Amino acid sequence: MIQLKNIFKWINTGSNRVFILKDINLEIGEGDFVSIMGPSGSGKSTLLNIIGMLDEASEGQYLFNDTDVFSLKEKQRSQLYKENIGFVFQAYHLIDELTVYENIETPLLYHNIKQSERQAMVADILDRFNIVGKKDLFPSQLSGGQQQLVGIARAIVTKPKLLLADEPTGNLNSSQGEEIMELFRKLNEENGTTIIQVTHSEKNAAYGKRIIELLDGRVENK
Amino acid sequence: MFKNYLKTALRSLFKNRFYAVINIFSLTVGLSCCILITLYIAHETSYDRFHTKGNRIARVIMEYNFGGGSTTTGNFTSTKVLPAFKRQFPQIEEGVRMHQLERVIAYEDKLFTEKKVMFADSTVFDLFNFPLLQGNPKTALSGSKKIILTQSTARKYFGNTDPVGKILFISSTRTPFEVTGIMADIPVNSQMRFDMLASFSSLEANQERTYWNANYTTYLMMRSPDDIKTVEAKIPGFIKEEMKDQGSVHLTYFLEPFFSIHLQSPYDSFEPNNNILYIYIITGVALLILLIACFTYINLNTARSLERAKEVGIRKTAGATIKQIFVQFMGESVVLTILATVLTVITVWLLLPLFNQLTDKEIPISLFYSKTIILSLLGAVLIIILLSGSYPALIVSRFQPIKVLKGSFARTSSGNTLRRSLTVFQFGISLFLLVSTFIIQKQLHFIRNKKMGFNREQVIILPSDSKIMSTIGVFRAELKKIPGITYVGRAQHSPHNIIGGYNMRSAQMPSNAQLNVKADPVDEEFIPAAGLEVLYGSNFSEKDIANVQDYTFDMDPALKNFPFIINETAARQLGWEPSKAVGQKMFLDDTRPGYVKAVIKDFHFASIHNPIGPLVLFPTQWSSILLVKTTKGNISTILAGLENKWKELAPHRPFQFKFLDDEFNSMYTSEIRLGKVFNIFTGISILLACIGLLGLCSYAAQQRIKEIGIRKIMGAGVTDIIRLMSADFIKLSLISMAIAFPLAFLSINKWLQSFAYRIDINWWLFGLAAVIGLALVLFTTGLLAARAASINPVKNLRTE
Repeated sequence: MIQLKNIFKWINTGSNRVFILKDINLEIGEGDFVSIMGPSGSGKSTLLNIIGMLDEASEGQYLFNDTDVFSLKEKQRSQLYKENIGFVFQAYHLIDELTVYENIETPLLYHNIKQSERQAMVADILDRFNIVGKKDLFPSQLSGGQQQLVGIARAIVTKPKLLLADEPTGNLNSSQGEEIMELFRKLNEENGTTIIQVTHSEKNAAYGKRIIELLDGRVENK
Repeated sequence: MFKNYLKTALRSLFKNRFYAVINIFSLTVGLSCCILITLYIAHETSYDRFHTKGNRIARVIMEYNFGGGSTTTGNFTSTKVLPAFKRQFPQIEEGVRMHQLERVIAYEDKLFTEKKVMFADSTVFDLFNFPLLQGNPKTALSGSKKIILTQSTARKYFGNTDPVGKILFISSTRTPFEVTGIMADIPVNSQMRFDMLASFSSLEANQERTYWNANYTTYLMMRSPDDIKTVEAKIPGFIKEEMKDQGSVHLTYFLEPFFSIHLQSPYDSFEPNNNILYIYIITGVALLILLIACFTYINLNTARSLERAKEVGIRKTAGATIKQIFVQFMGESVVLTILATVLTVITVWLLLPLFNQLTDKEIPISLFYSKTIILSLLGAVLIIILLSGSYPALIVSRFQPIKVLKGSFARTSSGNTLRRSLTVFQFGISLFLLVSTFIIQKQLHFIRNKKMGFNREQVIILPSDSKIMSTIGVFRAELKKIPGITYVGRAQHSPHNIIGGYNMRSAQMPSNAQLNVKADPVDEEFIPAAGLEVLYGSNFSEKDIANVQDYTFDMDPALKNFPFIINETAARQLGWEPSKAVGQKMFLDDTRPGYVKAVIKDFHFASIHNPIGPLVLFPTQWSSILLVKTTKGNISTILAGLENKWKELAPHRPFQFKFLDDEFNSMYTSEIRLGKVFNIFTGISILLACIGLLGLCSYAAQQRIKEIGIRKIMGAGVTDIIRLMSADFIKLSLISMAIAFPLAFLSINKWLQSFAYRIDINWWLFGLAAVIGLALVLFTTGLLAARAASINPVKNLRTE
């Protein structure tokens, strides 16, 4: 599904070129569950953002389902992104002005889905995540774990093939974190969603089928 | 989709109520100012347009001088101009002579002073569109002693009964006039707004005797608009021929297109003119205010967009395109603008009466529904949406999701430059207006407090007539019995504004070397009542006045010997040192030979726009006003006493009074109005500029929130932070000052030049404006900086 070939990422600070990613070669198949680990500054988030098409590499090739992502135009790339990728953030990033229901509904709007269908899809997710009773609450009225549940619900409501999560449990306590991880495993096993998560925690990383360790922008082992 | 946008927009507006309110407020203020001013301009430019033949009509302007003397130009002509011109120039289809007078009118038990009784030739209806509701326009004014009333005047005298055929009694002579028609009330946008229209022949003015005696207004209607120029070009030749026996006298006429009179002529019509320059200034001000409102909006919205950066990031990661985000934010601008537009309509509707009071106009609310106004409102709204809505929307839609979600905002310096320029511009306008306001107010204060050389306080002006004057001795004695009244002087013009135009020369000067002079026929109590200072010689005596009573119009001038009292300027112009003028021989209009009896100190007998000119006071048997000097005391008792006496002694004329002080102030109405307008616009622009500054400052505070946090951890106090944040804006306001002050100096100086007597522009006024400007900057930025500085730094830094 994902093929990264010789990916380099650097930024220029003055005359110095600072490398964030160095020669990353990676293949991730459909249905995989990958945990990316590594110390701060090792380039985990950058890698995730490149995979998530929110960032571009300085050099290298990225094939997503055999499509060369970097050669796509902005419009085609966002189309590809829209159809395939869901994002979960460490800081949840819910829209404060919208209710739980409306937050989950938002991506469906951008996918041009009809209202009746939207209602059914959101209702289904709410039900699966056991948060039907919370649908009219605003994010500020929820606990961190609940907010992240909504964040995940929002990310998968469009049924993306790939779910990217940047330290999804980073702001949660351990029991909440476990709950989220269980949910990820279920999504991966029951729905076949490909999941790539960045994490600091060995315990959470172990939920993945595969662990990639980054150090100073290089893949240490696969 | 739309519902989702609307929901987010409304909830976000509600959450940030403060911003939403000041945003809508500033837009409403800007738009309302703009619409009110557009209404004003629409009203002013609509003057007289209802006369369908107006483009073929011209007003005749007279210009003359006697040999070497100064030239007089004005909107007056003699009765001869119309018949003579009509005979000479076939291009003239028709014409009308008009003259407006104040008259006392009696009907049964009703007695009113009518300020606007117009006398006009019967051809008036051929030129002008004044529809008659009753009566025949062809015949209603043919023949002497005929009068047409406007609808509301008719109601005033006759109630619901039919006035046509009834008789009104006019003047103290109670001359009967037959009501021959009723006309519709004259629209407010008309250069003549009389209440009664009487036949010109009733004036019994000679028809063709002379080109002099120019007291009337002549309008000519050509066969085609181009004929105005043709005829005007031929006038000098024709007049030269007509005047060939009159030696060195220069006389000619110009033609002014009828439609250009109200805004472009220096000579008033029957209603006061307006100056096209003021129209330009006020149009500029309207546009500036609208721009300021837009800039405020841009600054506020860009600042606010940062708070919504996270939302944009989330929406983008949820699949929104740049276009969708742009549309969403534009949509919010549209919502805000529509709200502001609705409020504007309400505001204009509520404020129009106040605005009318301010401008001294009667702009009808119905004008608001006219095509021009609706179009300009839509235009302004469109400009706001396009100009102010698109910029923030553009910025926001370009946010990069990973950056904004991480909390580090795009710190582009290009956008900063734009926003800073806007602020400099806004602030510059405000400072410009502030300085201008200071100087205008100072000049107004100067006018009000300048020693005019005559008494302004405790002087009452009573309009009177020949019937009262014929028994003035008794009348005056009776009035003086009222406690508190010291002098009762007679005059043609009040000392604050003497307008009578005459010619004078000394006995040594040749008879063709006439000098233009203002003169006022007065009696022996005028000088003490007006408080004028006699420098040399002595005031008129009762005997002087009595002697003149015997002089008749037909008498041989050689037998007359007038005593004159002249001012210092007149003495010098006639070639005498003021101290040596007494006893010198001189002529006033050649028909009045006489000698200088006294020299009075120069005083301002006209608006201080003009330097003091020469003035002659001469004894009279005819005068139109009584000048009553009172001691300090209870003015209402004195007025009540006057009214009682008046009713007893002059029952034929309603009792009317004016205070000299008020009359004096009314000469400066347009300046006082300008002052008020500037006060208001300055206030509004400063308010809007501060709001804009608030926006820019809160934007900066957000951008630098991390820096502030770090500085606080390093030990910076709140004052340090405020200093840090304000320094930037102080710099901006200094730039504004560098631009605004020289411009203000130049333009206000030009305005001051129109006064012969004016204040000097003090540098401390600029200093004061600078201090006020800086204080406002410090206050606004300090407020936000203090808020930013008081946030717990740990909170700010955690987002990284």
